[in-house]
Amino acid sequence: MRRKGVDHPIWHVIHPHPNHVRGSVNATAPASGASDTRPAPASPAFGVAGLVLPFRRRISPPGMTADTPASDDHAALIQAIAQRRDRLAFAALFRFFAPRVKAWMLRGGASPVAAEELAQETMLAVWQKAALFDPARAGASTWIFTIARNQRIDSLRRERHPATLLPDPVDEPEEPVQADRVLAMAQQESRIRVAMAALPAEQAEVIRKAFFEDKVHAEIEKELGIPLGTVKSRLRLAMNRLRAALGDVT
Amino acid sequence: MISHHPSETTLLAYAAGSLPEALAIVAATHIGGCSACRHRLEGLEAVGGVLLDALPPSALSDDALDRLLARADEPAPALPPVVNAGLPPPLDRVPLGRWWPIGVGARWRPVQAEGAAWGGLILVQPGRALPRHGHDGLELTCVLKGAFSDGSGRYGPGDLSEPQADHDHPPVAAAGEPCLCVIASEGMRLRGLLGWGQRMFGI
Ligand SMILES: [Zn+2]
Repeated sequence: MRRKGVDHPIWHVIHPHPNHVRGSVNATAPASGASDTRPAPASPAFGVAGLVLPFRRRISPPGMTADTPASDDHAALIQAIAQRRDRLAFAALFRFFAPRVKAWMLRGGASPVAAEELAQETMLAVWQKAALFDPARAGASTWIFTIARNQRIDSLRRERHPATLLPDPVDEPEEPVQADRVLAMAQQESRIRVAMAALPAEQAEVIRKAFFEDKVHAEIEKELGIPLGTVKSRLRLAMNRLRAALGDVT
Repeated sequence: MISHHPSETTLLAYAAGSLPEALAIVAATHIGGCSACRHRLEGLEAVGGVLLDALPPSALSDDALDRLLARADEPAPALPPVVNAGLPPPLDRVPLGRWWPIGVGARWRPVQAEGAAWGGLILVQPGRALPRHGHDGLELTCVLKGAFSDGSGRYGPGDLSEPQADHDHPPVAAAGEPCLCVIASEGMRLRGLLGWGQRMFGI
């Protein structure tokens, strides 16, 4: 049941468009070691044929737990699923991501049963959509983050319609992905980690709450017992720092 | 040339999936035509990926993987069909209601959305004012055709207006062609919007 492209939500920004089918990609898991290859905010002009390189950078991100495998391993696992429905690869991916997605859903207020179901649905979508993953456009964690987010959005609706309202890049000329661009994205990814780790605790906290607890500013302020407006200013400060880390890879 | 973009906090809420659906539809309409914002969005999603990696795991039940693998042949859900050809994504696949007159020179077509915001298309004849009201909560407007101006500038196709509190100048559709926008707000409800139209245009 390769459904390459058929059910692809055309709005997904970071998912490769069916037109962006890649050439051969090294799908065997690369050597282990902490590496950092998740994608980076990529400018819309990537995602094209044939030039996706296996990521080889090895940067130890600070603050990572011991079981954080190399993210290029994750990308390779997704590609192994795409290419040969590799269940062992899927199991490895599942062991890393399913418990994290569940943890996120729990933080977002889901019951343990619902959180587990959302983690399951997310991983099922990873399995189904693996062929749409393009490591030059998004790293494994980012891609899975967006899938989990979209599952969560859908689960919060009374009427389920598979929709995530992210438009597909349609107005961009397609350009080959440059090797140095892939490298720049990998570096940028690791800069996000470094910048996150360097954020003052209270700024990191509002960022985490904004991403994982679905809180509006007023709720965060109430919960943290801080004055009105503080969350917004903390968020701004944090985002300024992260933006600086994100830089521009174009 | 797009020159008006969503704020960082709005884009962050969109990336995190916490923007109410109607507002997310308006934001997505802008992002679909704005490579700068897609770039910003992808950066925020990468932050989300990094944060996801760093979350302390929460164990699933022992048979979770086996249960999932038993479903390995399920097809992925299909996209909703295009129901509004001619509108940019995601509006082309979003159910819309019928057009309602909301006064002289303005029509309103609600979007079917869930959550704490309402939204829809608004079509305003040249020289007529668009509704704007919310000092409570977020309001987003994305221009699809034509243009409008308010105290903060001129908004053409693709531009997104995210007014800060206390706007003095109501937006007015520019001369020339009618202005078609998609608009969503956490503030006033549709009934209020109709009430606004009635006050504004005396219908
Ligand atoms: Zn923009």
